[in-house]
Amino acid sequence: MIIKDLNQFSLNSEENKEAIANLSKNLFPSRKEEIWKYTPFKKFKKINFHNQENFKIKGLDTLNLPNLDGIVIVFENGRYNSKLSRIVETDEIDISFSSDIFPSNNFQTIKKNNYFTSLNSSFLTNSVLVNVNSNTKISKNLNFINIVSSDNCLSNTKFSIVLNDNSNINLRQYFLGNSSISNGFINHENNIYLNSSSSLSIDKFQDLNNNFNFCNEFITQKNDSKFIMNTFSCSGIIVRNDIISDVNGENCHTELNGVFSPTKNEHIDNHTTINHLVPNCKSFENYKGVLKENGVGVFNGKVIVHQDAQKIEAFQKNNNILIDQDSIIYSKPELEIYADDVKCSHGSTTGQFDDEALFYLRSRGLSIKKSLQLMTLGFINEVIQKTSNLEYVDFVLKRLLKE
Amino acid sequence: MSDTLIEIKDLKCRIDNQNILQGLNLKINKGEVHAIMGPNGSGKSTLSSVLAGNDNYEITKGSITFLGEDITEMSPEERSWKGMFLAFQYPVEIPGVSNINFLRTALNERNKYFGIDSIPAKDFLKMVAEKSMLVGLDNKLKNRSVNEGFSGGEKKRNEIFQMAMLNPKLAILDETDSGLDIDALKIVANGVNKLKSSENATVVITHYQRLLDYIVPDFVHVLHEGKIIKTGDKSLALELEKKGYDWLKTDTAI
Ligand SMILES: Nc1ncnc2c1ncn2[C@@H]1O[C@H](COP(=O)(O)OP(=O)(O)O)[C@@H](O)[C@H]1O
Ligand SMILES: [Mg+2]
Repeated sequence: MIIKDLNQFSLNSEENKEAIANLSKNLFPSRKEEIWKYTPFKKFKKINFHNQENFKIKGLDTLNLPNLDGIVIVFENGRYNSKLSRIVETDEIDISFSSDIFPSNNFQTIKKNNYFTSLNSSFLTNSVLVNVNSNTKISKNLNFINIVSSDNCLSNTKFSIVLNDNSNINLRQYFLGNSSISNGFINHENNIYLNSSSSLSIDKFQDLNNNFNFCNEFITQKNDSKFIMNTFSCSGIIVRNDIISDVNGENCHTELNGVFSPTKNEHIDNHTTINHLVPNCKSFENYKGVLKENGVGVFNGKVIVHQDAQKIEAFQKNNNILIDQDSIIYSKPELEIYADDVKCSHGSTTGQFDDEALFYLRSRGLSIKKSLQLMTLGFINEVIQKTSNLEYVDFVLKRLLKE
Repeated sequence: MSDTLIEIKDLKCRIDNQNILQGLNLKINKGEVHAIMGPNGSGKSTLSSVLAGNDNYEITKGSITFLGEDITEMSPEERSWKGMFLAFQYPVEIPGVSNINFLRTALNERNKYFGIDSIPAKDFLKMVAEKSMLVGLDNKLKNRSVNEGFSGGEKKRNEIFQMAMLNPKLAILDETDSGLDIDALKIVANGVNKLKSSENATVVITHYQRLLDYIVPDFVHVLHEGKIIKTGDKSLALELEKKGYDWLKTDTAI
């Protein structure tokens, strides 16, 4: 499945050989495995993916994205599109298109055993590495746009970022599928490394329409660093995020938030693991699902507090709204605690909007659609407000509410 | 043009196979204030819900003509656009939905229906300031989520605030007085009176005569077992206050 018609291409031939060997050895994920239980692989069937495609996007403005003032890196159909990108050389940031010299290797085993990360390495079409130098605070957002614009096109892409000591940046990632095409597939990997006292916040936006997007994300945090990731998943045949975060330094702040809104048989899958390996850290997780018209959502969040990781505070919640009866959510928050002096909680709720509230709003002159939108907004507001930029909030809301 | 605002004829409705309204007749003209009184469970809130378009109730017989048009099949939002307003007995809390945002949407939805441009932010805010003053709604409540964490009295004020913002033709106030202390009651009643004109009408549903000292009705109706069993002027309310409802119930039994 998936790799039948692909041309081999990789930046690193040694790594490539090893990866392909690995891929043919590894079976395609089985839905008998807990983490793959709900992912509807049958939707990949009969699609002949290919990975050689030209650029089609005419200009950035056609994408209607919010303010792209800062650096813009555009990958289209898996390749770096230099025409659309805007990279300004500065003393603060180095950007290179290669996959090596990434500091972390704590995830190698996981990557080797995962079909999609193996696929990514084997058929990697492009990879970017961003290095944020020490003692810098980058005020403008760094924008990474990853778009598929051709039918059946498989993009295997990597984005890696290293924040050196005491550096600070905001990153916006867009994973987009043209609404006029179908069965494109962005199989992406994020590698994120936060050195001491650095701070990174990522707003990740996924609007794939009739296309697929898998993101495997690997985060390592050193002491006193702050990492926030907000994931807004609007649409896609299958959208799947697998986030693993190793908190490997004391006094870290880790925050994962998300809103996902599958409709019309879409499937949006969020898997997160936060590994608290050392003491005195805090993590927060807040995911909200809004599901309708046979939309399917999965939330599987795991927080593991390892032995001796004392004084950890970890809070995790997932709340879902089923707008109609036809949608499904599988929610599984998990806590594994091997230390004794910790403060942790987790919870999950799933409900429907109150009929009386709907009638109340309608009796004031709001249509059903507007009423539901307003209630949805009320429901997801808590997470949306995590991003402070009004223009961005507006943009995300419009797409999430499918206005 | 006719002076009739709404005419309800032989209205019967049910919910869960239980008949609630059982042949109700009522006609309200522009410029009038009607009070509806009656014991608990007599169907007062049911009547208001049905008028506002709550389709949990099944209308089995009769008609409701609002501004010359049968509205029994009309959606709640369309009724609202045309000038119907219900101040709920139990206003619903809607977490996360800002009061102000909600009202602005409400006004704009109505404007859209009538093909009018959206209300400019400045005008809207001016209107909010003006109307919240009218009912003495605490400034901070306007920006909070709809009714969330409001006290009973605050919820009722918020209802009248919304009424002031929407300026309806027919306002039905379902036990707006309950939960209000006497000072708040005066303020709210005063607000309602200020909104009164020769073009609109008010229905005041209440248990207590007290409110009718401040919002003086032209007619007082007694609802019992889903029917209006007696209609009088404001002195009827005083009589009910003294004698209760039992003497009326026996009247109808004869
Ligand atoms: N949702 C409902 N389901 C079943 N019975 C109801 C419902 N709403 C109202 N009723 C019944 O209808 C009758 C009238 O209720 P209501 O209109 O609330 O009376 P009032 O407002 O005069 O106190 C009561 O007997 C009540 O139990
Ligand atoms: Mg009642």
